[in-house]
Amino acid sequence: MIITTTSTVDGKPVQEYLGVINAQSIIGANIFKDILGGLRDVFGGRSKTYEGVLEQAKEDALRELSQKAQAMGANGILGVDLDFETVGGSGSMLMVIATGTAVRL
Amino acid sequence: MKSYLGQYYSATQDPIEASILVFDKNIHVGYRDDTGKVITEVWELASIETSYQPSSQESIIRKLQERQISIQIAGNDASNYIKQLQEEIRKPWHKKANARIWTKNILVLTGVLAFFILLYFLIVPWLSEKLATTVSVNTEEQFGEAVYEGLNADATKDSAATMAVNEFFSRMDIPSAYRVRVSVVKGDIVNAFALPGGRIVIYDALLKQMETYPELAALLSHEFTHVNSKHATKSIFRKLGSKIFLSLLFGNLGSVTGVLADQADELKSLTYSRKLEKEADLEGLNLVMERKIDPRGFADLFRHLKAAAPVSGMPEFLASHPDTEKRIEYIREKAATAVVAEHESLRNIFEEIKQKINQ
Repeated sequence: MIITTTSTVDGKPVQEYLGVINAQSIIGANIFKDILGGLRDVFGGRSKTYEGVLEQAKEDALRELSQKAQAMGANGILGVDLDFETVGGSGSMLMVIATGTAVRL
Repeated sequence: MKSYLGQYYSATQDPIEASILVFDKNIHVGYRDDTGKVITEVWELASIETSYQPSSQESIIRKLQERQISIQIAGNDASNYIKQLQEEIRKPWHKKANARIWTKNILVLTGVLAFFILLYFLIVPWLSEKLATTVSVNTEEQFGEAVYEGLNADATKDSAATMAVNEFFSRMDIPSAYRVRVSVVKGDIVNAFALPGGRIVIYDALLKQMETYPELAALLSHEFTHVNSKHATKSIFRKLGSKIFLSLLFGNLGSVTGVLADQADELKSLTYSRKLEKEADLEGLNLVMERKIDPRGFADLFRHLKAAAPVSGMPEFLASHPDTEKRIEYIREKAATAVVAEHESLRNIFEEIKQKINQ
């Protein structure tokens, strides 16, 4: 499975387009991470806790995307796009949406 | 997660192109069979073996149970990666490491919590009180004046009684940096309160209940202690301090956690309020006893306050003042050694006050 943000893969022409697929992962940093994140906001600096949560959300979304592609018989996902949003009342949850085109190379 | 392209080999068919997704605990193998149907197989990492063939430069993944089925992936990366994951799973201390991380996390969490609790219960109140003591008498007076005007107490003030009560207080001869001004206002509430900076407000309903002059002396010395020890200013600073601290911690206090924190904070400030009331009682008692006024005035005063208050079954921890019985109890303990003298002038003024408010 080749997962790429480009629209073509060198040396492997697309044989079949299987359709647009997407996967999302919505993840809440827990209250303690929020507190630590809040302190980071006050004192400044990189918030490793939030970065970790974001990384986890991205990983989950890509995993789901590749599983969907595989179930369609694809062996590649082209033009993958990752969107990051906050959701929930006070924007306390993170949402990652991964979109791409499942193809057979 | 890593993904690869490879060839699916089985005993019965020609090699088929397959996509392979390697996860932490298993690999997903996707391919199309002869009829074009998409098939996804899940192989557990524990039930496969992998090797690298330098001759063909391919990684070979084989199922332990069905050795005739295998996957070949170009390059050694797949083989290395899967071996690494398998080692991770097989490690006997793998679960222990998890437990270790858990213990560490719990310890860190407890530490952080303990730090916040310490901050909230000791450091923030201490700092707030320190700040409160730096507020000048002048500032307190200005603030108290503003509140007093906001109450519009002058509109219902009983001027004659006010003058007499002020006279009573000055005869008690209590030295202070504050300019203490007592106001008697008309009202059905059996109560009195002190504002920062020296204003003391007494409702005439309370004066009407009083029978002897030590009661008035007790009330005035109690309220005076509130003023002189900056109780109102300290409460305000403490409340402000913990509000700022909580809103830093929980962000917006409108949220669910915010409401919970707010209510808990309210209970905590009630504890502080009871502490200040007790302090005012005891300090006031000292003032009264130094002047050889009968300390039983406190007990009588509390009885009148209790008789006037509607009987509520509210437990003490929900109240701003200590339980009346308890107050009478600790006053009685302290007053046991009191030396009492008769104060003619105070009694005369008290009689005068009684006459004026009953007019």
